[in-house]
Amino acid sequence: MESLPALFHLGPLGITATVVTTWGLLLILALGSWLVTRHLSLDQPGLAQTALEGAVQAVDEAIEAVLPGRGGLLLPFIGTLWLFVALANLIGLVPGLSAPTGDLSTTAALALLVFFSVHWFGIRAVGPRAYLRHYLAPSPLLLPFHLLGELSRTLALAVRLFGNIMSLEMAALLVLLVAGLLVPVPVLMLHVIEALVQAYIFGTLALIYIAGGMQSGPEASPATTSPPPAVPVP
Amino acid sequence: MAIDWTTFTLEVINFLVLVWLLKRFLYQPVIEVLGRRQAGVARILEEARRVEAEAAERRAQFERRLADWEAEKASLRAGLQAELETERGRQLSALSRTLVAERERQRAQEDHRAAEQRRELEAQAILQARRFATRLLSRLAGPELEGRLIEVFIADLTQPPGDERAGEDRFAGLDLTALDEEGRARIISAFPVAEAQRQRLAAALTARLGRPLPLDWAEDGSLLAGLRLTLGPWQLNLSLADELDAFAQAGNHAG
Repeated sequence: MESLPALFHLGPLGITATVVTTWGLLLILALGSWLVTRHLSLDQPGLAQTALEGAVQAVDEAIEAVLPGRGGLLLPFIGTLWLFVALANLIGLVPGLSAPTGDLSTTAALALLVFFSVHWFGIRAVGPRAYLRHYLAPSPLLLPFHLLGELSRTLALAVRLFGNIMSLEMAALLVLLVAGLLVPVPVLMLHVIEALVQAYIFGTLALIYIAGGMQSGPEASPATTSPPPAVPVP
Repeated sequence: MAIDWTTFTLEVINFLVLVWLLKRFLYQPVIEVLGRRQAGVARILEEARRVEAEAAERRAQFERRLADWEAEKASLRAGLQAELETERGRQLSALSRTLVAERERQRAQEDHRAAEQRRELEAQAILQARRFATRLLSRLAGPELEGRLIEVFIADLTQPPGDERAGEDRFAGLDLTALDEEGRARIISAFPVAEAQRQRLAAALTARLGRPLPLDWAEDGSLLAGLRLTLGPWQLNLSLADELDAFAQAGNHAG
């Protein structure tokens, strides 16, 4: 396996197309957010503001459904995951661009961030001792299995997203090569759906992992816990 | 495809930067707006609850006031009813008294009317009796009857005062002091009186009065029979007409 070639170099760093595309997404999202939220109206929200508020509230309610009272804390991370992964998946539909999530480096970076976020939010929620103790529950003999589970689910998170998006792009490319110009359109529609579904799965799994970490201690009361939603994992 | 560690590291940094940027420019402003709007809605809801509570309080107050009004109305109505009952009783009593008085008045009027009718009937009966007696006595009257009446008069004059056998003393009130020396007596008779009888009558008068009186004689057929003696303001009647008049007047006075 070989990595993507660098488009240019910044000193010793080779900048690949994935990074450039990500920067572009970063710029678009930052500028778009600034433009949209520049004149938010309290009394007479426009169509865009209403849609934006609805989207933010939907993400917040999804987090609250899993972790009641923690929406404000997790909204930036989980919301950004959903938004970035969805856009990164869809950007591959633009001719000449490739999806950043079709690069294992990106999905591995996101999975690593999710991995550390689980511990970070877990320790913040229940404290380091209680958090680390849950690896020994119900028996210290299960510690290797816990560690193995942590690594395997992080790896699965990265590989699942990478595999799905890469395969989608490759399939679309093969259909385009074999069948002609307009034939891949239905495949591209499937690409859209698959991109959104994969973004939802990635963000929801991250939310569930983080919720598991935050509810691992004895302080977690039954009233603040709720069963995680069922997530289809292809 | 292998992991490019430069890309991996830059993607980690990129994502963290993106989290910060979106938190700064997207989530925070939207959350603040939503929070302010929710606070506004909460304020409006609180205001609505306050207004609702105020309205409920006013409604309760109004209902209490209404109940008080109803109670007061019922009390006033009961008082008015009692007053009406009292007034009705008073008016019925007054009406009853008025009816009794009216009945008494009508009864008195009826009695008065009956008495008037009875008196009128009696007067008519007396009048009829007088006419009848007048017709009868007119046929019976004559010099003989007059002579007998004059004899009765002379007998009454000669009867000593205080003798109860003669009945009523016709001359008990005679007072000759009112007559002057020239005073004369006037005697009216229905028929011409015989001279002897005139002298006996003059003698009886002189004896009775204690002094002689000149007598003027006259005749008046309306007396039917008998005579009428006038002494100054006094008049003594002993005629059928005068007796019939006295009878009629006595009957009227008795009625």
